Amino acid sequence: MIRAVVTGLGAVTPFGLGVKTYWNGLAAGLCAIRPVTLLDTQGLRCRLAAEVPEVIPGSRRRSRADRLALAAAVEALEDAHLERAERAEVAVVVGAVGGGMFEAEEWYWREAGRGAVEPDRRALGAVLPWSHAEVVANALGLYGPRETLTTACSSGAAALAVASELVTTGMVDLVLAGGVDAITRICYLGFNALKLLDPEPCRPFDRERRGMSIGEGAGFFVLESAEHAAARGARVYAELAGYGMTSDAYHVTSPDPEGRGMARAMVEALTRSGLNAADVGYANAHGTATPQNDRMEGLALRAVFGAEGLLVSSTKSMIGHTMAAAGSLEAMATVLALVHDVIPPTVHLDSPDPEVAFDCVPHRARHAAIEHAISNSFGFGGQNVTLLFRRACT
Amino acid sequence: MQAKEVLDELKAILVSRLKFDPRRAAEMTADTPLPKGIDGAIGLDSLDFIELSIAIEERFGVVLDESEDLAPHFASLDALCRFIVDRTNGG
Repeated sequence: MIRAVVTGLGAVTPFGLGVKTYWNGLAAGLCAIRPVTLLDTQGLRCRLAAEVPEVIPGSRRRSRADRLALAAAVEALEDAHLERAERAEVAVVVGAVGGGMFEAEEWYWREAGRGAVEPDRRALGAVLPWSHAEVVANALGLYGPRETLTTACSSGAAALAVASELVTTGMVDLVLAGGVDAITRICYLGFNALKLLDPEPCRPFDRERRGMSIGEGAGFFVLESAEHAAARGARVYAELAGYGMTSDAYHVTSPDPEGRGMARAMVEALTRSGLNAADVGYANAHGTATPQNDRMEGLALRAVFGAEGLLVSSTKSMIGHTMAAAGSLEAMATVLALVHDVIPPTVHLDSPDPEVAFDCVPHRARHAAIEHAISNSFGFGGQNVTLLFRRACT
Repeated sequence: MQAKEVLDELKAILVSRLKFDPRRAAEMTADTPLPKGIDGAIGLDSLDFIELSIAIEERFGVVLDESEDLAPHFASLDALCRFIVDRTNGG
């Protein structure tokens, strides 16, 4: 049996550039949800978001999202110590939704007489979600299979699931996989109109939660067959031991009211990993802080794991919902929790919802050595993915 | 940067980013025309010029301003070298 292990990480997050910056922010329980600068939010119910605060490297001719992807991808490949020659056979799997929509909107806004920025019509060339995979493969010389997955908010997790499949079936030894999204007007204004955004920083699992906070970023992994990693002496962060992918097939925006699709994804991940529920110590929840998601996810977690012993936290309380990047950035938080023996907290959790009967690690990170952890991601329309990571053998 | 360094970098970009055969890049002289449709040119089309512009911005840290006429600077490697050297030396 071929096992898929994590040998490289790269991230651009609302805390800034790099995996180290990301983890330091999570472990310190910082909140990166601040007033929006990229969009005009005058008159909106919510005026906050978790934007990437720094100048993102790369030519301004590239879309913001392409630059996010490229910066994270470069870090992941360098972190895995893959030289150009070894990169030739690397596969690329990217979870994406917004593509270059931010720049396309700028162009359209201007055409409609509303924008102040001089638009570049060539920005339209990068509008489609597969632009990121193309840019990353072209700039870094990656000639293996290339896929783009669009499953709404679970896209980044779906990319890792499919990437692990490429490795465990023996198709390739190395995959660069992750998710990326930049803030866009259609996403921000759309969720604002649906009244799914909290005017304050989001409060997952809190009784008073009022919705999510939008974020942006990119998270990339190098996944590698364990044998290949051992042969070249690569550092192993963790093993992606299994995953589950299910559909609710229930409603366009609402999850199954009993969380059955979510629960099936978690059970599937356990089954594929050959583990029991009691083997899992931590769940990085989807935890969007919408009234519905957190209640359904709480039900589903309870149905699978019972209420005892499992630590649950939502890192969205710190970096917001980074959309197509969320699944991969939260998987990275899960992996780093295993590496550092530290569980990132759920910040802003002042009055826990009695319907979510878990220790949700409020306010402060907690020291805990965990063997196995899951990361949940649930996309609009019931597109559920659970990833299960195992601590690296030392 | 020196013109020679810039010229070598541009040839490397033609190979790595525009997927030129390395031998073809090596054979180019500084005055080989770049744009498609000119006799003896290496035949870059509009998409090639976009990719080349991105690569130049990222490699040399210059910003190419669309509001000025850039075509003369992209006429040949020699013209492009002079343009980049000028910009990177604070011109």
